[in-house]
Parts: sequence; C-alpha cells; structure tokens
Amino acid sequence: MDRKKATDEERARAYAPTKKPDVINKQKLDVRYHVEDYDVSDRPRRFLEAFAVILRHSNYRFALEHFIRMSAKCARCAVQCQVYQASGDFRDIPCYRSELLLKIYRQHFTVGGMLKGRLLGKGFLTDEMIEEMADSFWNCTACRRCTMECPAGIDHALLTHLGRYILSEIGIAPRALVVSVREQLEGKSGNTSAIPIPALLDTLEFLEDDMREAKGVEIKFPIDVEGCDFVFFPAVSDFLMEADTLMGIAAVFAATGDSWTTGTGYFDGINYGLFYSDRMLERIVKKLHAEAERLKGKNILIGECGHASRSAKYFVPTYCGGKDALPVINIMEYTYRILNKGRLKLDQNIITETVAYHDPCNIARQGWIIDQPREILKSFCKNYVEMEPHGENNICCGGGGGTVSIDEIRPYRTTVAGKVKAEQIRASGCKYLVAPCANCKKQLRELVEDQKIDCEVVGLHDLIYKAIIFDKK
Amino acid sequence: MPIFELGEVKIQVDEDGFMEEPEAWNDAVARALATTEGVAELSENHWKVIHYLRDYYAKFGIAPMIRKLCKESGFSLKEIYEMFPSGPAKGACKVAGLAKPTGCV
Repeated sequence: MDRKKATDEERARAYAPTKKPDVINKQKLDVRYHVEDYDVSDRPRRFLEAFAVILRHSNYRFALEHFIRMSAKCARCAVQCQVYQASGDFRDIPCYRSELLLKIYRQHFTVGGMLKGRLLGKGFLTDEMIEEMADSFWNCTACRRCTMECPAGIDHALLTHLGRYILSEIGIAPRALVVSVREQLEGKSGNTSAIPIPALLDTLEFLEDDMREAKGVEIKFPIDVEGCDFVFFPAVSDFLMEADTLMGIAAVFAATGDSWTTGTGYFDGINYGLFYSDRMLERIVKKLHAEAERLKGKNILIGECGHASRSAKYFVPTYCGGKDALPVINIMEYTYRILNKGRLKLDQNIITETVAYHDPCNIARQGWIIDQPREILKSFCKNYVEMEPHGENNICCGGGGGTVSIDEIRPYRTTVAGKVKAEQIRASGCKYLVAPCANCKKQLRELVEDQKIDCEVVGLHDLIYKAIIFDKK
Repeated sequence: MPIFELGEVKIQVDEDGFMEEPEAWNDAVARALATTEGVAELSENHWKVIHYLRDYYAKFGIAPMIRKLCKESGFSLKEIYEMFPSGPAKGACKVAGLAKPTGCV
C-alpha cells in the first residue's frame, strides 16, 4: 500500500506539548499529556528503586532476562507499527522504544552491566532518559501488532507496559487515567466516569421507556438480582454515551429470557490498570470479581469493550482464585452462541448500508474474538465488507493503550496514531463502522471527524437493536 | 491551579478549562466559558441545553446520558454539535460549569 507520511506541519502539531508553559516549567517535564504535580527531585534514583521493587515482586525478570539476550534490534517490527508508518520517526520503531527500558535493565540489574558501568563510568540512568521514556511510552498505542512480527519473540507491548508502570510509581502517568482510577477505587461513585447510583438508575429507567416507545416491548435492565447467569459490566461510559449499545444488549436478553443483572455495588468494566499499573489492575479486577460474587452470579459478562474484556478474561483467574474464579465472557460470545442456537431472530432487510467490522486489538490480537462478530453481522447485514488487514493482524484505531482518554493528545491520535486506520476506513467505503469497544468508538468518531470520512461509528449491538425481531406473545 | 479571567469573571479551572468549583457558576461565567468553546453568543437554544444540564447535574451529580439530553432538550445530536462544536460532553458541559468528564468519555 502506498502510504503518505505525515507532513512536517502535521507532525509538529501532533507532537506539540499542550501543557501550559508554567506547568511545563514547574514539572520540568515537557511531555504531551498532563501529569499531576509530583516530586521532580532525584528522579533516576527513585525510578531505579521502583524498578527494583517491581522486579522483586513480579515475574518480569524472567521476561527481561530473555529479552536482553534475544533483542537483535532488527527493526522488523517497524513494518507493523502504524505509528511509525505515519510518523516516519525512528524513535517510534517498537524495538527502539523497548531498548529504552532494556538498556536500563542491562546497566543496573545485571552483573555484566553493573561491572561495565563501574569500569567505564557511563551509561547510568539520567533525567533525560526518563523524559524520553515518559514521552515515548505514551506514543505507543499498545496494540501489540509488533509482537506478531518479532522473530525473537519480544513482547514490545509488555515492555511498554512495564515502563509505564515504573514511571507511574514515581508519579509520571497521564492525569486523565490517574484521576479516573482514583475515582474508581477511592471515590464516592466507585467508577471511572463518576456516575452515582441514582443517576445510573435514572438512565436505565430512561432507556426502558425509550425501548417501550420504539419497540412496543417491555424490556428491562434487571438491577441487583441475585443468582443470575450473567453479571453485566460494560465500560461505564456506555451509560453516558452508548444508549443504543446498551439497549441492543438488553433487547437480546429480553428475546432469549436468560437471566442477567447489573449490580449497584459496582458496574464498571473499565480497567485502566491494564494500561499503566499492575497494582491498580489487581485492585480493579478484584473489585469486579467481588461484585459478581456478592450477587452470586455464575458468569462475569463484559460489555462491548476490548480492554475491559481482556483485563477480566486474563486477570480474573490470576488474581481471584485461579480455577475457582468465575468465568468471564464477552457479550459478543454470548450473542453468537444464542444466534447459533436459533434463539435470536434478526430482520435481514433493515441494514442495507455497507458495514465493516473493526477488530479491537485487545480481543482480536490473541485470536479470541474474531469470527463471532463477523458471523453475527453477516447473518443480517446484506452488504458486509472487510478491511485489510483484519482479524489477528488488524490495525489499531489509534487510541489504544489508554491514549484515547487523554483528550489533550487528540491531534496526535487523529493525525499520527490513527492515520493508517483512517486510510483503511476510507478504502472500505463503509457507511457503518462497527467497533465493539468503548475505547475504539471514541477514537474512531474523533478520527472520522478530524479526517473528514463519511461514516458512522456504531457498536455491534446498536445494529442488532435496529434489526431484532420479538416473537409476538 | 490555573485561573481563567475574562472581564468581571474570575474562576479556577483545570488544564482543559473546565471549572474546578461548579458551585461558583452563573450566567456570566457561562458566557465567559462559551468564548473558549468558539461560541460568541449564547442563544435561547444554548441556554435551554445549559439549563437542562445544570438541573440534571444539581439533581444527580453528573451529566445526563447524551441520548437523554437530546430527547429532553429536543435537539438532535447534530444540532448540539452545531451549537457547541466540541460536542455535548466536552463543549456543552464545560459551558454549563460541570467538571470535566473522566473515563472513556
């Protein structure tokens, strides 16, 4: 494919710091995202201390030991990285980014590196290196496409994650994420969008009214019902933004009659810990599992959200009792299952426009959910088109890895990180772009707006809601 | 904490220009904040949206679901984008003096 590189002007705009000069001055950290005030003294020492503590209490050392031996810096990953393809800046090549952290590990945590450092007296961690990492690790959208290409099997996204984790321990993490997680874990509302319970109940009641008007059917959002098959955790922002997705999911359950519920104790699937901190990841996953247990649910059901699904699917067993932990499924797996059993009827004459499916990286890269949504869409959309590449090899929306929540870097996301995706969408000519992920939806809407592409970004259940047929009782 | 000043109005805002103390909001503040959102003058329709947001916020402590805002204020999402170019969550809520929405909003 012939790809146009970003122009100098675009690049300058995308990388320009959006912080006010006095903030930059105070924090002595010229990065493009806001961070909360933190202690800027003696950063290298504190970084290394945090690194040492994390190594001691995790399994990262095994991975790092392997990576420092295997890393060949061959840059094959460059052909996969949509950020590098758009920016053309060598600092965006995944293995260049990984090397930022690997060289610190080599220098400070291996015998050879420490000896070499003593003898030569150089290569020690500096403030400049920390600033480069703080910038670089948040240029990556953590889509993990590079890991598919690496001949040495290096997981660059894992290194980016670890780098962000260490930085967050010394206070360098995007404010947008930190504030949300704080509200989720310590705030009054207990969820990332700070939705109080009365507001949630009001919203669900409003949606029920809306469905009664539109479909003439009584569809409920069951609240706090014990012993259900499914305890539902959508990305909590859906309660503010995605009326149609939620109504589609409720309609599917109304059609099948299976038991499901939303818990007022905790109703947020979002887990930003996956993006920057294992400590937070663990606390949030435990909160999720505890609520499902409180309601004596049989399964944890995650709504249309990529990172929420991945963080629950892979970390609920890690942190909540291994084999004894509740099973986690994504709503699309459920819908696919009942569709196959013939329990869901969809009108094939409603969606006549061109429809394309965007794979959220967090559920597609490992091959988990790729075919199910496609089968669902093809069963009732007349005009389904595919973007290339797709599935396991899909291209990131450009806002992955938590970057979508950082509003101040929107120009970066829509001109650099999402540039390749924009070309892909344009080439597909779709009218409906189905993105079953709160993260992707937000990014793609901003992307099509900024890049002036004529298509509507929707969730999978938005379309199901349009096409669902209820049996007349 | 940055201070936003325009004419008589002087309020504390965050880095994105959202109010830190939504209680200090009044009509003059709304007019001042509107200038940062590319809205030169607040029409009757603008006020309708703003007052709906304020009332909902006073009752529930958060902005309403966007669909609810559209339905109850009687404007389509497109019309709201025309009134507030950065949209309901970032534009309208900012002018109405609500705190910056967090999470994937």
